[in-house]
This record gives sequence, C-alpha cells and structure tokens, in this order.
Amino acid sequence: MNDAAERAEEVAADSAVADEVGHVPGGVTAEGELVAPVLPKGLRRVPRGVDEVATEHLVVNMGPQHPSTHGVLHILLELDGEEIIAAEASLGYLHRGIEKLSEHRRYAHIGTLLDRADYLSGIHTETAFAMAVERMLEIEVPEKAWWIRCLLAEVNRIASHLVWLGTFGLDIGAMGPFLYCLRDREQLLDILETVTGARMMFNYVRPGGVLMDLPPETEPMIRKFLSTFDKYMSEYDELLSGNEIFLRRVKGIGIISPETAVAFGLTGASLRGSGFGWDVRKERPYGIYPELDFDIPVGSVGDCWDRYVVRMEEMRWAAKLTTQLLDGMPAGDFTAKVPRVLRPPAGEAYAAVESPRGELGVHVISDGSDKPYRLKIRPPALYNLAVIDEVLPGYKIADAVAIVGSLDIVLGEIDR
Amino acid sequence: MPFGTGLLQGLSVAFRNLLRGPITVQYPDERIELPERARWAVRPKYAEDGAHKCTACMNCVRACPDEILALDFTTREDKTKHIDSLTYEAGACMMCGLCVEVCPFDAIKMSHDYELAVIDANEMLEELLADVDAASVRKERPETPVAGGGTDVG
Amino acid sequence: MSPYLEVLLKALAALGLMLVNGVVLIYMLRKVLGHFHLRLGPMRVGWHGTLQTIADVVKLLTKEDFNPSLTDKALFVVAPFVVFVPSFMAYLALPFHESLKFADLDNGLFYVFGVLAIVPVGVLMAGWASNSKWSLIGGMRATAQQIAYEVPLLLSVLGVVLIAGSLNLAEIVRTQQGLWLGFIPRWYIIPQFPAFVLFLIAGLAELNQTPFDMSEAESELVAGFVNEYSGMKFAFFFLAEFSNSFIISALAATVFFGGWLVPWYPDAPAWLCAMVFLIKTYVGIFVLMWIRGTLPRIRIDQLLAYGWKVLIPASLVWILVTGFVLKAVA
Repeated sequence: MNDAAERAEEVAADSAVADEVGHVPGGVTAEGELVAPVLPKGLRRVPRGVDEVATEHLVVNMGPQHPSTHGVLHILLELDGEEIIAAEASLGYLHRGIEKLSEHRRYAHIGTLLDRADYLSGIHTETAFAMAVERMLEIEVPEKAWWIRCLLAEVNRIASHLVWLGTFGLDIGAMGPFLYCLRDREQLLDILETVTGARMMFNYVRPGGVLMDLPPETEPMIRKFLSTFDKYMSEYDELLSGNEIFLRRVKGIGIISPETAVAFGLTGASLRGSGFGWDVRKERPYGIYPELDFDIPVGSVGDCWDRYVVRMEEMRWAAKLTTQLLDGMPAGDFTAKVPRVLRPPAGEAYAAVESPRGELGVHVISDGSDKPYRLKIRPPALYNLAVIDEVLPGYKIADAVAIVGSLDIVLGEIDR
Repeated sequence: MPFGTGLLQGLSVAFRNLLRGPITVQYPDERIELPERARWAVRPKYAEDGAHKCTACMNCVRACPDEILALDFTTREDKTKHIDSLTYEAGACMMCGLCVEVCPFDAIKMSHDYELAVIDANEMLEELLADVDAASVRKERPETPVAGGGTDVG
Repeated sequence: MSPYLEVLLKALAALGLMLVNGVVLIYMLRKVLGHFHLRLGPMRVGWHGTLQTIADVVKLLTKEDFNPSLTDKALFVVAPFVVFVPSFMAYLALPFHESLKFADLDNGLFYVFGVLAIVPVGVLMAGWASNSKWSLIGGMRATAQQIAYEVPLLLSVLGVVLIAGSLNLAEIVRTQQGLWLGFIPRWYIIPQFPAFVLFLIAGLAELNQTPFDMSEAESELVAGFVNEYSGMKFAFFFLAEFSNSFIISALAATVFFGGWLVPWYPDAPAWLCAMVFLIKTYVGIFVLMWIRGTLPRIRIDQLLAYGWKVLIPASLVWILVTGFVLKAVA
C-alpha cells in the first residue's frame, strides 16, 4: 500500500513547503478568534486540494482520552476527510518511572513494580526479571519451579489474549465478545488468585523459584476451565471469525510486510502475523519449553486478520500447553535456597521471555549492592506500536482503531 | 456459504448466551469466597490467648516497598520493648505481602479484609497495635506457613 | 369539541407516548443488552432497576445546561430540537387501530420518511456547531450515510405500496386482512420478504444503529456528534434516537406484519389490536437491540458503497419484479 521511498519524498517536499509558510502559534486570541495550532514536525500540513478547491487537512488528537486507545495512547492523526495522511504516536501518559524506582528497591521487592509494567501478564515480566537475576547469581532453579512458572505463564497468556480479543472486538464495534471474553478470563484470574494470592499483581515469581507451591485445588480449577474453553473458543469464532462485517474490517487492513516488521523490531504475534515465525520460546528456549510439544502459528500477509488468527491459534496452543504442563508436573522443591538479601556480583544480565505481546526482556546491571544499578525493560508493545507511524497512512480512521487493536498494546508496559 | 450466514451465526451465539443467564454476582448481597491465599489488608495476628506476637523487630517496616508501615517503640532499661504504635496506611498499601513474608514471628498476616473504603481519608491510617508491650523474642515460633504469603523465600 | 383542542390533545398524547416510550426503551435496552452480555443490567433503583431510568431523567434534567465556549451557540441549541421534532412528528402518522389514529394521512408512509429525512440536518448541525473535530466527522458521516440509505429505505416499501395501492398506513394495514389457505395471515412479509430484508438493513442505517452506527461510533469517534452535549440537550438526542427506533419498528410492523391486525381473530376489540401492534413493534425493537449487542461495525466507505451499489439497485430490481408480477396477475 505504501511505497516507503515515495512517501519519504512526499514528506520532504511537503515539509519544505511548510517551512516556507512558517508555523502559526495556536490558541485563542484576545478577540476570541481561533488560530490554528502549531503542528509537530513530520506532519504534513499543506493541503493537496481536490480539483483546485482548496481543502485543508484535519489534525485530530486520538487520545489520550479516547475509548479505543487501550488506555492513554495518544495518536496525532492528520486526516484528509476520513483518510489518514500521517500518524504519530505520542507516549508517556502512563509513565510511572518503574525503571528508575527499581534502582531504589532490593531485588526481592522489584517484582511488585514489574507486575505493574505489563499489568495483563505480570507473570511474564516477573519471570524475565527472575531469570536475569538468577543468571547473575548463578542460581540453579529447581525443575518444579520452572513447571509452575510456565504453567502460570500459559494461563496468564490465555487471560491476556482474552482481553485482547475482547477489546479488539470492541474496537471493531462488537460489544458482545468483550463480555464473553471477560467471563472466561474471570475463571483464569480466580486460578491465579488461588495460586499467587492476587488477581493481577502477583508478586509470585521470585529469583530462585516461586513463592509458594501450587495449592491442591489448582489442577481441578484449570481442568474445569479447559473443559469449557474449546466450546467458548468456537463461539468466538462464530461471533467474529465467520462474521462478514468483521472479515471486511480486518482482511487486507494494516498490512505489515515482513521487512517492515523486522525493521521495526516487532515481536510476538505481530511479527508472526507477517509470516516471520520467531518465538522466544523456540529460538532462545528457557525453562522447560524445550521439553514441551507446541507449534508456532504463523500468518502470511501480515494484515489484521493474520494477527487475529495467530493470536487465536496461540490461545489454543496455550490451552494445550497448559494440559501438558498439568500432566507432567513433577514433584520437588518449588524454590532454590536463596539468601534473604540478594547481592548479585557486579555485572549485567539480560533475560527475555515470550510474553503475550512478544519478546519481553529485562536487562539488569548490578554494582554488587542489594539494589540494581540499572534496570531496563524491553517492552514488546512499544516496538509493536512504533510501526503505526509507517502503517496507518492510507487507511481510514476506523482502520486505525482496528490496526492499533490488532497490535495488542498495553500502555502500562509501553510507558512503564 | 451465502453472505450473511456469519451474521446469523453471530446472532445465534448471542442468543445462546442470553439463555445461559447472567453471571453477575450482586456484591453486597452475594459474595465470592476468597481463596485462602488472597492478600488484602495487613492485620496483626493473635495467639490463642489473645496476645499479639509482635516483638518490634522492625523487619516488616524495612521490607515494605511503599514505606507505609511505621513502628514506634521505646526500649526499657531491661532491654524489653514497649510498642507505642504500629501504624499502617491501608490507602497506600498494594497488598504485596512482603511484610508478612519477612516477619520472623508470624505476628502479622494478609487478611481477607477487603472492604477498606472509608469516608474520612484519615481513617485510612490504621493503628494495628498501640501502647502494648512487645512480645518476647523467645516465644515459640510457628511451624506452618501462614495464609497469604507467609512462606519465606530465603 | 373544538377541532383545535382536539388536535392539541392528540399532539399532547403523541408527545406523552413518545416520552413514555423513551423511558421504557432505555430500560429495555439496558436490560436486553445486559442479559445478552451475561449481565443483569440495572438492579438497584426500584424493583430490578425499574426506576433507574426515572432517576436518570431527573439527573439529566437537573444537570447544568452546559455550553462549551467557541461553539456556534444558536445552532448548538437548536440542533437537538431539529433532531427531536421530526421524530415526534413521525409519531402522528402511526395508526394504532382503525379508531386509534393521531392523524389519518393519505400519504402517511411518504410523510414519515419525509419528516425523518430532516434528522440528518439536525445531526450535521450538532456536529458543525460543536466546533469539535470528532463531532464534525460524526456529523459528516451521518449526513453521507442517511442520504445513501434514505433512498433504499423508501424504495424498499414501494413494493408493498404497489400491492396495497395506497400510501395511507391504515389502508396498507386494511389490505392485509384475511388469511391465505385458511391459516397464513395475509401479511406482506410473505410476498415481500426481500423487501423486508432491504427495509431492515436500510432501517438500521437510518437509525444509526450497530452495525451502521457511523455517526456515534464510540470506538472511533468517541461519541460522534453528541460529543459536546450534556444534560437535557443530550437527552433530546437520546430520546429522538429511541423514538426513531420505535417509529422504524412500528413502520415495519405496519407495512410487513399486519399492523394492528390480530392473526386468526378478525373481530378483535380495539384495545387488543393496539396491544398487538405494540407487541409487534417491541419485538422489532428487541431484534434491533439483539443486533446492536452482537454485530461489529462496518466501515464508513464500505457502508456507502454497500448503500449505493447494492441496496439501491437491489430495491429497484425488486420494485420491477413486484410490478411485473402484479401486472401478470392482473
């Protein structure tokens, strides 16, 4: 749809004209007159016009207060009628300084912050951090601990994808799937609460293992969920996948070519939808994933439909993985012997897990004290979101909502 | 398939869900039973004879990431401690359970007390213990981990 | 009774009906959508939340009548009424029974579509006067959509008009009396089923209802043209929306489902006929809500393309077919 070189040329030409015209300070004058605001650089403000009728582009702020920007994403859209000419994501409305705060907390306490980074899949962030610390401390994690971590990670993945499916449906305009998805997610949150003690802010995966062993009621709860899950999944398929309106809204919309996807550092389902079968669980296996039997669903075109299908398939695979993990749950210790106060030797470590959104990495630098010198999170959703500047132009407003929805962004993780 | 079958299928799924009936839990009238490990407000734990178990060791205060626990105590000449107050800001607590994890004497717990709304913001600042003598350090230690994150990682 | 008084009383009765309808429909919408979505809907105010709507009306009435600065004041205030009044006017043409009519209009069908065509003007006014970009886009969408769908809506009922030989809604109902083969009601839904499908689709678009809720499209345009409205002005838009769905549903009942006629009971008393008419209408509204709670939203350009390229030709072809068949039968 977009020839990148041609677009770059157009942008250059237009911004040259914009420089000539000069920017006008925006706001309201003393006389109550409205003056057009200054536009951020990169947005082309010179109207092209239709049949020599002078028309103007409309710059709208989609967000931060907007129902379908998944929190507080702010996208500057330059519109020609309904068509998007340029788009720019503006971030930072949910910045809480998680990385900086981590420098003032002991290693054992950082989990509480990381849950709040990607609030839909806290287990994954916690696991990535625990892995990084374990690497520095060279702790041998007991096998059981890894089984528990992976089990909860897959349960959490389904829960996160269910939120994505619901909100994606909501973005497209279907109200029903959202509440049906939350019904299923409720069961998963109950399971997580039974195991970890909290529904979203788990603070459960610790360097060395996990906090507590699985309670005995976990297995029947998960099996009960899995018994209804297939039925409900086929209902979602009937609600959306076969729906002609839905198909028209997602097929051929928001095409991300494999080259673009790799260039922007996309990971997770957004990358796999473009036909690039890359998954941290397969490529840089961690935990007990090498022992498990699972496939990586891959799309072909890279449109919203492919990303949708890949995520739906991932949910089905996560359910199968959950069964495998339950069946093979070994006996043994759930945590290694870890000192009460962790003091990793000076050095650094990076560990990545496959979160529902893609490669979630945590990079920890230690100076030998009980607090990290620096902690950096690689939020997959940030990289996935970055691609919208490239993809959105040429589509309609309604498509923008669908494309952003199909990328599955979580602002808590993007802004940290 | 002719155009429109997907739409009709979707409508039939919605109708099926209508027949399933609502899953709403009418909160103040009905309540969901919390799992044993659920973590809510921090509360002191009492022995069977009703005595609290806090020895004023300050571990929980140091462990709290949000620094919402405060313990004021005076040490007498015979090295026994008197707890003036152990305050807890429920409004700022994120129920992470770290204080309970580090408590060596099993003196506090993550309770199932989740109805924490108050009219006056000052009521959020709770006194868990006030003006009591600290428990003796040599008292018997608990054998089993407590509910809601009582297990020690280290 | 003086004719003026009579007209006034009838108008007041129509207004009362419209307001009561609005209150009932808001409650119904919440309950129906709630139960479709595994929820309960309002439960706290009154028995099963029955008084919730009353509470909301009180809230809306007592809310500050807020005008954002930089709006076009006059248009901003007038727009809700431009949307509300046509909807009220359309009520007057609906026949509830032979003896229960606000007005017996010979061109009733034409009149209803005529006054409803004013609605997009009000929507565009609201969108423009709000001086908000989202509102403006919503207003433009509404206009484009309603122009595109007004035509097939009108064309879709022309087949029935050809058979009935009248634009009078009461006359259309009268021609549906009787039974085919002794047990099938002579409703126009049977010979005119394709026309009914066209009417349903165009009617959904006319009502700004999912899957065609372009002008509001909460996931795209926040709230579309009502973005800047609050309090009573917002309530007028809302009321108009609900009464429009009543009107379209009542039209469908009149034109395709025998209006006030009670099937297999030709001598039904007037009150029963009116009840049956209301039940038919409410079933129609239930279907609208069902669709609203389930289907995703179509995109604006697809919507327009569908309207101009599919619905209008299809309805024209159907009129042609009906005409030929009628001629052949005659």
